[in-house]
Amino acid sequence: MAESLIATGRAPWFDVEHGVLDRRIYTDPDIYAEELEKIFARAWNFVCHETQIPDPGDFFMNYIGEDEVIVVRDRSGAIQVLLNSCPHRGNTVCRAEQGHTNSFLCSYHGWNFDLTGGLIGMPGEDTFYRNDVDKSEWGLGRAAQVASYKGFVFATLDPEAPPLEDYLGWVGRLGIDTLATHGDLVAVDGVVKNRIKCNWKLAVDNLYDWYHVKISHGSALRAGLLTDEAMAPMDQMVILGEYGHGIGGPGMSEEQQAEFDARMASGKGEPQWYDLQAQRRLDPAVRETLGPIGTRCLGHPNIFPNLWIALTRQVCLRIPRGPFETELWWFTFMPKDISEEERRHTMFMANHVFGPAGLLEQDDGENWSHSTRGARGTVTRRQPLNFSMGRGHDRVEDDASGQHRIETVVNEHGQRWTYQAWQEWMLADNWQELIANHSMPPKGVV
Amino acid sequence: MAVFEDLSLQERMLLSFEAQEFLYREAALLDEKKLDEWLALLTEDIHYWMPLRRTTTAKEVDREFTRPGDMALFDDDLQTLNLRVRRLGMGRAWAEDPPSRTRRMVTNIRILRCEGDEILTTCNFQLYRTRLNSEEDSWIGRREDLLRRVDGELRLARRHIFLEQTVILAQNMSNLF
Ligand code: FES
Ligand SMILES: [Fe+2]
Repeated sequence: MAESLIATGRAPWFDVEHGVLDRRIYTDPDIYAEELEKIFARAWNFVCHETQIPDPGDFFMNYIGEDEVIVVRDRSGAIQVLLNSCPHRGNTVCRAEQGHTNSFLCSYHGWNFDLTGGLIGMPGEDTFYRNDVDKSEWGLGRAAQVASYKGFVFATLDPEAPPLEDYLGWVGRLGIDTLATHGDLVAVDGVVKNRIKCNWKLAVDNLYDWYHVKISHGSALRAGLLTDEAMAPMDQMVILGEYGHGIGGPGMSEEQQAEFDARMASGKGEPQWYDLQAQRRLDPAVRETLGPIGTRCLGHPNIFPNLWIALTRQVCLRIPRGPFETELWWFTFMPKDISEEERRHTMFMANHVFGPAGLLEQDDGENWSHSTRGARGTVTRRQPLNFSMGRGHDRVEDDASGQHRIETVVNEHGQRWTYQAWQEWMLADNWQELIANHSMPPKGVV
Repeated sequence: MAVFEDLSLQERMLLSFEAQEFLYREAALLDEKKLDEWLALLTEDIHYWMPLRRTTTAKEVDREFTRPGDMALFDDDLQTLNLRVRRLGMGRAWAEDPPSRTRRMVTNIRILRCEGDEILTTCNFQLYRTRLNSEEDSWIGRREDLLRRVDGELRLARRHIFLEQTVILAQNMSNLF
């Protein structure tokens, strides 16, 4: 088996047909270096929400892979994404995680940059440099493209990347819409950040994982934080999109949606596990945006590579910190114009479910760090991993709604799709190749 | 309102001793995982809160901590603290199975204010935790604890925890501070 797979760099790490993964993709330092180049430096990456930096001069620091970026609102009101590295010696020009500033003054020799990254001052420009530096050529590096979708700001470092909306496709857009349709969103102050000694892909793959809930989070279910039924319902829906985007998790069946609608109309009937999420989709305009299938879809979207949109009005970025470490960043959103009771509920969930002290997420980290560790043993790492659940047993429904999806039980379609896409990104040398060769979402039996 | 500084030396010593004994005993209960006994030391209206902290410029250091009502690492009342403790006893609380080992140091205890039945204290703490064979976490911070005398006994009515850390350098916070 497989010794040569990584060495050739062209053979499959992920056997798509059988759902078998070479686990060295979690620990191999060369693969990690290539991911930074071929995935993070190429993709559209979520950098912040517009409401985090409402006024000119407001900034928020983030990472694209291991590239540190400053996301800043300039004087014209546009959002700039600048590389946080002074072109003189490379020093960072911004050390705060967020804040407000008029310019970025480098602490080393005092080069000063305006809010669009332009170099506007150099001590000794005339006396020492004798005016022979063209300042217009020595500004901060900038993201190749910046765009936002419904307030969520993304940036790509690759000028060849397709426009954001094309990149997202209908599945990525639907993923963000599941949150954006909660209302006019404002970011709550405070991004919860912690570090886990795991490979970033294990954290990503877990967001589709409705298999682990009853075991990993058994104590939270037993203690009554959340009900079994709501946390791991038998009815699941998976929607797969181009470039690795996807949505996976609970889905209401057509019967359940009909039951819910009838119950809301008549005021009679028993509450069900889907009520909370379904209630947020009562508005016809919301249903119009989500579409008939999207309205029934209550799963977890992932915007490839690493943005999970959670059901708690939060999103979580999984930022790589080397092959063995990942930083989790939780952003929380509050719709304007909601009742005090709903606001309290949102904050309760945001402060008690996820994050390092979250009653659910406490128990995730060690599973991911030990899964990563499991790929470090010389012989152990040669043993492949099984991602076969549901393989060949389900069918993609593709009807007049135009929203193709798989309606089934707990499964690993989303995980397989993630690794398949990951592999295609890694095998493509540039955007042209990726656009030409990436898989379209499957049809028929999956 | 009794200003602590206005009390006699003896009164201050007695009060300090009592507060200190309470805080030591309470820390020991957490180290020994006697969590039900620990819960019994809390008042009905306890607010247990650890705000987020972020690196800001010196000019904006007043924005370093999140404010009450915004995001926090802990923002608990008696009910959620109960839920945390109950959850640990349910089985399948994997972050604590096998159990991690903790040791709490509580130092620099000072009384900031006393008023009626309440004593507002501040202290520095270190929470040292090891897990399995090689994992080690250490949290240092400052706390403001409001102690209240209920039926003659001190209880914890408020705990605000300010950590010397921004990004939490641990895979979880499965313990109490
Ligand atoms: S490194 Fe920035 S001014 Fe020299
Ligand atoms: Fe989980």
